[in-house]
Amino acid sequence: MYERLSLRLRVFLFFALVGLGGVAAIAAGIWLGYRRLGEPEALSAFVLAGAVAGFAVLGLTVWVWLLFDENVAKAIEGLSARLRAKAHADVAAGVDTERAKYLGDLAPAAAAVSDSLSETRGALAQAVQRETTRLAQEKARLEALLADVPEGVLLCSPEHLIVFYNGQAAELICRDHVPGLDRPVFDYLREAPIRHAYERLLAAGQGDAASDLLCATVEEGRVLSARMRLLRLPEEEGGYPGYVLTLRDVTAELAVHARRERLLEEIFDRVRRPAANLQTVIGAIGPEGGEALDAALAGEVKALTGAITELGARYDESRADWWPMSENRARDLADGIAARLASGGVAAEVEAERLLLRCDAFEIVALVSRLAVRLAGAGRGEGLMVAITAEPPGAAIGITWAGAPLPVAELEAWLEEPLEVGLADVTGRAVLRTHGTECWPEVSGERAGLLLPMRSARPAVAPPHPAPRSAIYDFELMSKARTAAVADRRLMDLTYVVFDTETTGLLPSQGDEIVQIAALRCVNGRRVEGEEFESLVNPGRNIPAAATAVHHVTNDMVANAPRIEEVGRRFHRFAAGAVLVAHNAPFDLEFLRRHEGGIGHRFDHPVLDTVLLSAVVFGSHETHTLDALSERLGIVIPEDARHTAMGDTLATTEAFLKLLPMLKAKGMETFGDIVAEVRKHSRLLMDLNQPNGSGS
Amino acid sequence: MAEAAKSILVVEDEDNIALALEHLMRREGYQLTRVASGAEAMPAILRDRPDLVLLDVMLPEVSGYEICQSVRLDPELKGVKILMMTARGNQMERRKGLALGADGFISKPFDVADLKAEVRRILAGGG
Repeated sequence: MYERLSLRLRVFLFFALVGLGGVAAIAAGIWLGYRRLGEPEALSAFVLAGAVAGFAVLGLTVWVWLLFDENVAKAIEGLSARLRAKAHADVAAGVDTERAKYLGDLAPAAAAVSDSLSETRGALAQAVQRETTRLAQEKARLEALLADVPEGVLLCSPEHLIVFYNGQAAELICRDHVPGLDRPVFDYLREAPIRHAYERLLAAGQGDAASDLLCATVEEGRVLSARMRLLRLPEEEGGYPGYVLTLRDVTAELAVHARRERLLEEIFDRVRRPAANLQTVIGAIGPEGGEALDAALAGEVKALTGAITELGARYDESRADWWPMSENRARDLADGIAARLASGGVAAEVEAERLLLRCDAFEIVALVSRLAVRLAGAGRGEGLMVAITAEPPGAAIGITWAGAPLPVAELEAWLEEPLEVGLADVTGRAVLRTHGTECWPEVSGERAGLLLPMRSARPAVAPPHPAPRSAIYDFELMSKARTAAVADRRLMDLTYVVFDTETTGLLPSQGDEIVQIAALRCVNGRRVEGEEFESLVNPGRNIPAAATAVHHVTNDMVANAPRIEEVGRRFHRFAAGAVLVAHNAPFDLEFLRRHEGGIGHRFDHPVLDTVLLSAVVFGSHETHTLDALSERLGIVIPEDARHTAMGDTLATTEAFLKLLPMLKAKGMETFGDIVAEVRKHSRLLMDLNQPNGSGS
Repeated sequence: MAEAAKSILVVEDEDNIALALEHLMRREGYQLTRVASGAEAMPAILRDRPDLVLLDVMLPEVSGYEICQSVRLDPELKGVKILMMTARGNQMERRKGLALGADGFISKPFDVADLKAEVRRILAGGG
C-alpha cells in the first residue's frame, strides 16, 4: 500500500511520525516524573516544561522535514523525472545537478549515467542511421508509387478499419476532408456490398481470389466500382485476413450510359409513331383525299423530320461522352506532339495554354503529329506551329504554316490513313468520330492552317481542396489487439485527437466564444501526417483587441467563416471514436459543450489532459504550462506559431506523444490506469472522465 | 418575284431529293440546273456561273467540302453563293462548311419553308 504513495508523502508521513513520537515520548517522560515526585503543585511546571519541549520537538521536526522535502524529496523526484524523460522520451537536456546538490554523489552519478546513455544512443543512432537512410529512400519510392496509382487504394484490417489509403482513395470517399486511419471503412462506404464481398471471398477460401463489387459513398452517394482482394499475411495464419479495395468512380459513366439508354428509347418512341402514322395517312390518300389528308400527311412528316433532326443532334452531342476519356493537360499533349515531331525530323513550334482537355491523349497526339508530318512533307513546313488554345466550352488545336492552304481532298486522304502500323481501324477519321469533332483547312492572312476543335476543355487551375498525393498508412494496425472497454485498452492502442481552441476571451459563461479550432490525429502512438483539422469560426461577436494580440485572429478573418454549429459538427466527425487530448481540457471543452445543442452531437469522448499527465510524470510541484512542459521535454515551438490553434496543437501533440512512454514506464499501461492516477491531482484540474474511466 | 431571273445549280446525287428540289425551286421562279456528282460540279459552275449552288456534302468522288473550297479559292467565282446540305448536320460539320466558305448550311431532313427562306436570304446578299 505504502509503495503507491508518492515519495514526498511518504517522507512527510515519516517526519510526522518522528514529530508525534517525540511529543508522545516527552509527554510520557513528564507524566512519569510528575508521578514519581508526587507533588501536585509541581503539575503546572511539568506541563509547561512538556509543552515547551513538545513544541520544540515538533518545530524542529517540521523544520527538518521542510529542508528534507525541499532538498531531498523534491530533488529526488525532479532527478527521477529527468532520468525518465531521458530514458523514455529521449529528451536532450542533461541532469540538473545544482538542484540535487544535497544528494551527495547521486546527482553527479545520475549525470554520468545520463551522459553515458546519450553517448551510447549517439553511437547506436549513427550505426542505425545509414541503414535507416537506405530504408527511408526505399520507403519514399514505394510511397510515391502507391500515391500515384491512378485508382483509389484502401487497405483494411479484418475489423474493417482503415490501415492504408492513398490520395485518390481520400478524394473518392470523402471530398471535403480527409479520411482517418483506424476508422471503420463503413464511415465512408456503404456497408452491405463490402461485407458481402468479404464474406464471398472468405467462403471461397482461395488466397488470390478477387471480387468485383459496386459500392456507394456514405456522404455523397457516388457510385464506385471496386475490387476486393483478401490479404493474408504469413504471421496471421489462422486468423481472419484484411483486404485491399481498389476504387474507381463510375458515377459519370453510369450517368452517360443512362442518358444513352434514355435517348435510344426516345428515338424509337418518337420515330415509330409518326412513321406508322405516315404509312396510314399515305395509305388513306386517294383521288378523293382532299385537303384534310394533305394536312395530316404534312403534319406527320413534319413531326418525323423534327424528331429525327433533334434526336440526331443530341446523338451527335453525346457520342463523344460515350467513350471512356480522361482529362489530359494540354501541355502534356503539346509535349507528346513535340516529341513525335522531333523524332520524325519535323521542326515545329508547339505551345499550349494551361488547359485540361477531355480526350484520348494517345489518339490526339498521334493524329496531330501525323497531320503536321504530312504537312511538312507536302511543302507546308515553313513556320510550322501547333497551338492548343481555349475555345469555350472546348479548345482548339491549330496547325498553322506560312503558305498556301491545304486542299480538303488532300486532308481527307490523310484522314483515311491508319495512324499506327498494324492498327488499320485507327484512322484520323476514326479519331475525329470518337471525339465528335471535325478538322478543316483555314486561312488567316499570310498563314494557312488546319483547325481541330475539341469539344470539352477547362482551365487547369488548382482544385480548392488539393488531394493529398501521399499514401497514409500504419500497417501495425492490421494486427492491433482491440477490446471493447476504453478503460481496459492499452494507451498505445487508442486513437487520439489532440486539439486546441482560440477564443474571444476566457469566460464562456459571459459570452466568450471560439474563433479557431485545430486538431491532429494520433494512431498507434504516432501522429498521422495529413490527418489534420483546422478552421476559423465566426464567433458572432466582436473579438477584443487584447485577444487578437494573443492569437492574431482578427474580426476580418472570421467575417466569412462558418459558425460554431457547422465547425463543431465537422470537428465532432473528425474526432469520432477517439480520445480527446488537450492542454487544460476543461477550458476548451466548456466552449464546445455550451453549443452541443446547435451542433447536434455531444462531446462525451474520453478525455486526457496534458496538464494532469505532466503532473503525474513530473509531480504536482512543477509548473505545467504548455511552455514549461515543452521546455522540459525539449520541444521547440516557433514563436510565430505559439498561441495559434495549430501551433499549440502541434506542441501539445508532441508533448503528449513523449509523455505516453514515460507513463508506461511508471507502470500505467491502460487508459483506466491513467485516469486513476490523474484523479490524485484533482486539485490542479478536474478530470473530465466518468467514474468508470470512460468518456464523460 | 424579284429573284425570278436567279439561277441555281443543284449538286445532289439522290434523284428523289434532286427532283423535289427542282420542283420546289422552279415553283419559286428560279432557273434550275442539276448535276449528280462532285466531279461534274466544278465544270458546271465554271460554265454556268450560277447565282447559288445548292451543294450536298456527301457526294461520290469529290466531296461537297472540296467543291466549296475550290469555288472559294477561285477569284473568278467570287459572286457564286453556296448553300450546303447534309444529312449529318452536327455542329462541327456546320462549322467546317462555314469555315470553308459556305454562305449557309442546312441539315436534312429540312423543312421546305426553312429551305426557301435560307435560299432567299443568301440570294438577297445575306451571306
